[in-house]
This record gives sequence, structure tokens and C-alpha cells, in this order.
Amino acid sequence: MTAFTLNGREVEVTAEPDTPLLWVIREQLKLTGTKYGCGVAQCGACTLHVDDEPVRACVFPLSAAEGRSVTTIEGLSEDGSHPVQQAWVELDVPQCGYCQSGQIMSAAALLARNPSPSDAEIDTAMAGNLCRCGTYVRIRAAIHRAAEA
Amino acid sequence: MKLQDVSLTRRSFLAGAVAAGVALVVPLRLPAAWARQSEAAGLSQAFIRIDTSGQVTFLLPTSEMGQGTHTGQAQILADELGADWSSIVAGMPNQPTPDYRIPFIGQMRSVGSFGIRFWHDPLRLAAAQAREMLTQAAAERLGVAPAALHAENGFIVHSDSGRRIPFGELVEDAMALPVPEEPTLRPDGERTLSGRRVPRLDTPDKVTGKAVYAVDVERESMLYGAVRLAPVFSAEVESIAEDSVTGMPGVVAVVRVPRGAVVVADSWWQAKRAADALDITFTATDADELSTEAIDTMLREALDRPDVPVSTLRGDAEATLSTDGQVVEAEYSVPLLTHMSMEPINCTAESTDERTELWIGTQGQDVVRMTLENALQLPAEQCFINTTYLGGGFGRKTHGEIALQAVLASRAVGGRPVKLLWAREDDVRQGQYRQTMRCRFRAALDDAGNITGMRIRIAGPQMGREYGIDPEQRAQATGNLANFDPFSLGGLSDMRYVIPNFVVEHAVVDLPIPLCPWRSIAHSFNGFFFESFMDECAAAAGRDPLEFRRSHSEGQERMLAVLDRVAEMSRWSEPAPEGIARGLAVVESYGSYVAQVVEARVDDEGIDVRRVHAAIDCGRAINPGQVETQIQGAVIDALGMALRQKVTIRDGRAEQSNFHDYPLLRIGEAPSVAVSIVEIGSPLGGVGEPGIPPLAPALANALFAATQQRIRHLPLTDHVRV
Repeated sequence: MTAFTLNGREVEVTAEPDTPLLWVIREQLKLTGTKYGCGVAQCGACTLHVDDEPVRACVFPLSAAEGRSVTTIEGLSEDGSHPVQQAWVELDVPQCGYCQSGQIMSAAALLARNPSPSDAEIDTAMAGNLCRCGTYVRIRAAIHRAAEA
Repeated sequence: MKLQDVSLTRRSFLAGAVAAGVALVVPLRLPAAWARQSEAAGLSQAFIRIDTSGQVTFLLPTSEMGQGTHTGQAQILADELGADWSSIVAGMPNQPTPDYRIPFIGQMRSVGSFGIRFWHDPLRLAAAQAREMLTQAAAERLGVAPAALHAENGFIVHSDSGRRIPFGELVEDAMALPVPEEPTLRPDGERTLSGRRVPRLDTPDKVTGKAVYAVDVERESMLYGAVRLAPVFSAEVESIAEDSVTGMPGVVAVVRVPRGAVVVADSWWQAKRAADALDITFTATDADELSTEAIDTMLREALDRPDVPVSTLRGDAEATLSTDGQVVEAEYSVPLLTHMSMEPINCTAESTDERTELWIGTQGQDVVRMTLENALQLPAEQCFINTTYLGGGFGRKTHGEIALQAVLASRAVGGRPVKLLWAREDDVRQGQYRQTMRCRFRAALDDAGNITGMRIRIAGPQMGREYGIDPEQRAQATGNLANFDPFSLGGLSDMRYVIPNFVVEHAVVDLPIPLCPWRSIAHSFNGFFFESFMDECAAAAGRDPLEFRRSHSEGQERMLAVLDRVAEMSRWSEPAPEGIARGLAVVESYGSYVAQVVEARVDDEGIDVRRVHAAIDCGRAINPGQVETQIQGAVIDALGMALRQKVTIRDGRAEQSNFHDYPLLRIGEAPSVAVSIVEIGSPLGGVGEPGIPPLAPALANALFAATQQRIRHLPLTDHVRV
């Protein structure tokens, strides 16, 4: 049994302790906004926050979540009102959208520690999040927009 | 907007409508040119539906995979109908019945950048019909002439009195009226949504994690599946020792499928672990020794064959062999590519002998249906295919193998739903690649430096055959001579330059590798080949690349318009900024013309693409914001492809496996991309694909401008540093 906080509520799950957190959250806890893309921390589609730090859930073992606070895209805001989500809507960032939960979680973590990042700082912080649709131009612009909010 | 599971054919939809509430349903009328080839006698099963609450639903067979097609379609519909934008819902049919088939493809499929250009006119017509019926109903109720009324934001409005009636209240009366044959379309000036940067309808769900992709589908008592498939494409299973995994945690079943096995378990992670541990062997095949080097040799040898048939001929073939004047010759190649949709291949199936239901992000519903029909004799009427959002498609999601695997897995566990997900490594290694091609050019230039003749011979597989295209029939239908495969020759045979003597030949090479279109199909390589070679010809003639292209585009107004626009954007007539090299390319594909100028810094450190200018003529931009982002995305996608991407084969299997060895561009490498839309009254063109083809040649041409080094083989990083 592993106990942790998920989007502000206490949860307890039973699974092999080395099961990646991604699968526990998607399959047992039924929050599917966090995506599988590569399984090896190469694409960032599974990015969520553990104690406010961005983490690749596809390689983060369940056992490491014990007692910690996990936030997924569903918990970033109740109604899509987080400044990053709003900026994403204003600039119509997503195309297929599959990578965007991870992009948004990485961007939110960046802005939490650096409220007005430069282009270079954005590029560094977002380097782990791939987008095959190539929405990077708008992602960069939306992070600046969220920083102004 | 939600992507709603309307889940009904028209017949059952109408039957269901009785229970679901009364609604005005207007089917889309196909243009005569399509209807002749369609079984639908002019009426498409696609329709718009207005219910008594005022909700407007449209059901078209175009999958939403990121290209924004549902938003564009909704704009066209809402504009013509005068609907309230927030009342529009997009739906997908869940049975690919004949009426949904695109006539000249013969299948329900989302390919060829068709979503807007194909459905614009029928959708608009049906909306106008519905508007006139609602207007007529309102006129009778208000006792005024229909001409005194107009539709606006979901109401029929009587301007003189200010009275207005919501659509929903008029539905029942309108249903009793005949559908007008020739409704009056709104003048363009009254279309307030088309041509505007309307926000995408799917964005709110895509920034909150609520959008449902196939991999997110939830069914009661669902199990999960992972695959173990033959690494060599033509190999089959030789033996499976099921007991090697039956004791592992969560494992429910090991199911044999074509070329491998599915392990079904209580969770995907358990299934994946067991699939990896499964003791399975595969048969030896003739392709076990296959390598990229061997394939390259096959292509090179094919180019030297003595008997390659001429596919396309204009003017005098002999003139293309001229040795008078200047002759330019060059040979190019591209590697195999994979698609790398961010959402790996997956499908959820619930299947018994009586009924099969699938949830799949597919571009090819009919391919899925036919795969099941062929393998299991599954009758079409027992098969329901729910199309979810696609986490990227790029051509890859036109295949049905995952559906068959999922159905077999579900049947093996008594019809329980099974969510089958390929690991990324399966997605990369299981083939369905963009073909590798090799192309040889020869051009004759006259004393003025104009091309008088060109001979093109391309070697590679004839991929169209796998999509039911008969090259001989297609040659006849397109005015070509013979052996015409558009999946190989698109962008060569129909290139838009004025070259008086012109020959294209295709030396067909069959490869034992499963192949699949990749965003922009043949243009993804022929754009690179042709526009690089045009640059070589310009250089050989000592002429400016823009001026050279313009002078070979006489009468090609669209070509000239995008060339001139991109020249203006990039200040082509002025010297390039210090340390920056520029390259130009222009390609017509899917009914649109795109010209691009790449600005790159090239030095000892390598090549760094700073900025790309792009001009597109897609007729009319229904949503300029979406046109802009599609072109920006295509440029970034194609830049990653041109710089680094390739699948290589060793011992009959793919060497790559994941993003570390098949790298997409990352954000720090993405240039700024300026997009300008040229509107000169052209017919509607596609937008999802045409941004791809010009980028690779524009980049290679910039590299040449900087270094005088001509890179003729992709990816570029095999030859230069980045």
C-alpha cells in the first residue's frame, strides 16, 4: 500500500512498488490527462508535479511517491483558470494536444520558480517536452503571456 | 465543444432521434462529380442536425488529429446557418458505411489535407438549406415574407419589428417543409466567422486533460494489453511458451496474433513486463540479412536499369538527352522515416461473435473495418468504430493491424474490453515507414540559362499499390503514359514549372518492409529532390534562385504570387544579413502553393536555422490562425526530419527505438516562423500537409549558399554538423 496526496486529496493504492506512477494515476486513479509517450523520460508527455517539482511519471516509481504531494493537469486548477492554461487558450497553442498536459505542467513549474523567464530560460526548462505537431512557437509565446498575467 | 460520439448511422440516427428528441436533419449533397462515383446517389450520409434545444450537430467523416479541421468545418457551418457558435457540436460516424467514403479514394479516410477543401461546399449548401427552412417556418409563424427575416446567432430575426425566434422553437415546423434544392448562399461579406482567427473548439479540453484520445478510453472491467511482435517485418511466430509468463503478476492471457503475441493483464505495466519476458521465437525469413546498405544498392542499381518505362512525357524525350549546351546532372536520396505521433498506436476493443466495438484514433476507418473483415470475416454491420481524438496521425494511423490484435485479445478473454497499447519501441520498430527513394536528374540548359529539357528517373517502391491504386489505371486517368503511382511521383509528374521537354520514369523496387504515407506523401521527398535540383540548375546558369524560378513559372500565377510574397518577407532582393545564408524553395501540393525562405547561420560550429519565412496560397484561409500554426508546425516538423531523422535497417530490423535515436526537434532548436497568407481568388487548398515539402530543399539550398557544398542526401546531419 502506498499513500500520497493527489491533487489535494489523500489516496492509497496497491501496486508493485516499482510500477511507474504514470500507470497508477492513469489506470487505478482514472486521471488520464497525464500521457504516455516514450516510457524513458525522453518526451515529457507524462510530466506532473511531485512536491511542486516537474517529474516524468513514466520513470517515477510508485514507492517514491509515498507521503508526497502529486499534482496532475487535472489538479493544476479546478476549471482551467491557471495562468498557463489561460495563456494556452488565448494563443490557441494545442494542435493534436497529446503533449500539451506535459508542456503545461513543465511551463507552470518554470513560472513558479522564475516568474519572467527569458527565451533561453524557456528553452532550457522546456527542452524535455517534445511536440511532433511543432507548436513550439506558440508555446514560447504563451509562456511569456502567462508571465505577464 | 466536445467530440461527441454520435454513434449512429443516418437510419438509426433518425430512429434514435424519436427517443432523443425531435430534430431537423439535412443530409449533405455531394457535388455531381463525386456523386457519380459514389453509391450515395448524390446524398452523403454526412449531415447537419438541429434539435429543439437549438444544438447544431454536424457529422462528417474527418478525424481530428490536430489539423483543426473540426473548427474550420464548424466555422463554415455556423456562418452559413447563422448559428450561435457555442451551439455547434462536431460528431464522427461510428460505422464507415459507403456514404462516408471519399469517392475518388473509395474509403472513409482522413488523408490528403481534404477536411476543409472537400467538405466546404456541401457543408455550406446544407447549412443554407437548413437556414431557409427555419426562415420559412418563422415567416409563416410571424406572417411576414421570408425576405424580411435573417438568421443570426441561433435566431431567426425580423429586423423591422425586432422580433426573434430561436432555431430550436422552429425545428418542428421546419421539419415539415421540403428541403430547398437551390438555396441562396450568403454573400462572402456576410460570413463573419470564415476568414477570422476563431479559437479552436477543442482547445479548452486539451489544456485541462479532459480531451479523450483512444488511449484514455475507459470501459467497465477493462483489461490491458501489450505486444511482443516479430522484429523482422515478414517473420511469423515459430513458438510461444505461454507458461513462461502465466505466473507473473496480473497476467490474464497470452494471445497469439499475426506476427506475435498480445499479453493481457490487469494493468498495462504488468502486461508489458510479461510481454518482454515472454519466451517466443520467430521464423527465419529471406529478409533476415536485409540492411540499409543493401536497400541503397537495390535503388542505385534500379536507376541504371535499361528498361524503365516512361510514366510522364511532355514534348520531345530525345531533347532531354541533349548534350548541346550545358548539362546538369545530380542524384538525391531520402531514408526511411517513421511517424512518431506523440500518442503511440493503440486501440480498445470489446468483441464477441455477435458484436465488435472499437475505440481508436484512426485516419482510416474503412481500413480498420476491412482488416477485420478479411481476417475474421467480421460483417461490417456488426462492427462499430468509435473515432476519438488522435494524438497525431501524420499518415501512420491509416492501418488496421492494432485493431485486429485488440479484437483477438478481447475475444480471448470472453469479450471483455482490452485496451491494447504499443510501447513506443513497438511504434518505432514495427514498420509502416515512409519509403526510401533515390532520384536522378538530368537537365539541359540553353545559352540563356533556361531549362530546355529535363529527365527524371526515380527508384523506389510503388507504395500506392498497397492503397489499392493501380498505376496503369491511374496513368490513364491523369494523362500520364504508364506506371503512374502518385505516392511515388506526386510533385514530379505534376510539377508546376514550365519546362518544354520533360520525362519522368519510375524504376520500381519492391522492398520487404511495410510502408505507409508520411505527411505530404510523395511531396515529402520529391519536394526536396526537385527544388534542390532547381537550385543546382540556377547555380549552373549563374542566376539568382528566385529569378530563375520566376522565369520558369510563366503563367503560373499562384506560384509567382507565393514566390513574390516570400521574397518580400525575406527582403530577398537585399543582401542577406552578415553571417546569414538564405535558401528558397516553392512546392505545390494538395491544392496549395507554399514558398519558404530559410535563414541559417552556417559556420564552423555547424548550421543553425534562425528564421523561416513562409507564404501560402490555400485559396481562402477559413481560419488564418490555424493556417499560420499548421505552417509553423510543419516547418518545425520538417526541419527535424531534414536535419536528423532516419530509420536504418540492420539484420532485417529497424535499428531505432525511441526519441533518443529518432529525435524530433526540441523547443530550443525551433526557429521563428513568419507566415503570410496570399489570397488571389484561388480554389480552396489543403493546409495540413503543404507546409512540409519546401523546408528541406530551402534548408539545403541555404547550406549551399553558405558553403557551396550541395547536400543531396537526407538527413543533413549525416553530412554536416548542427
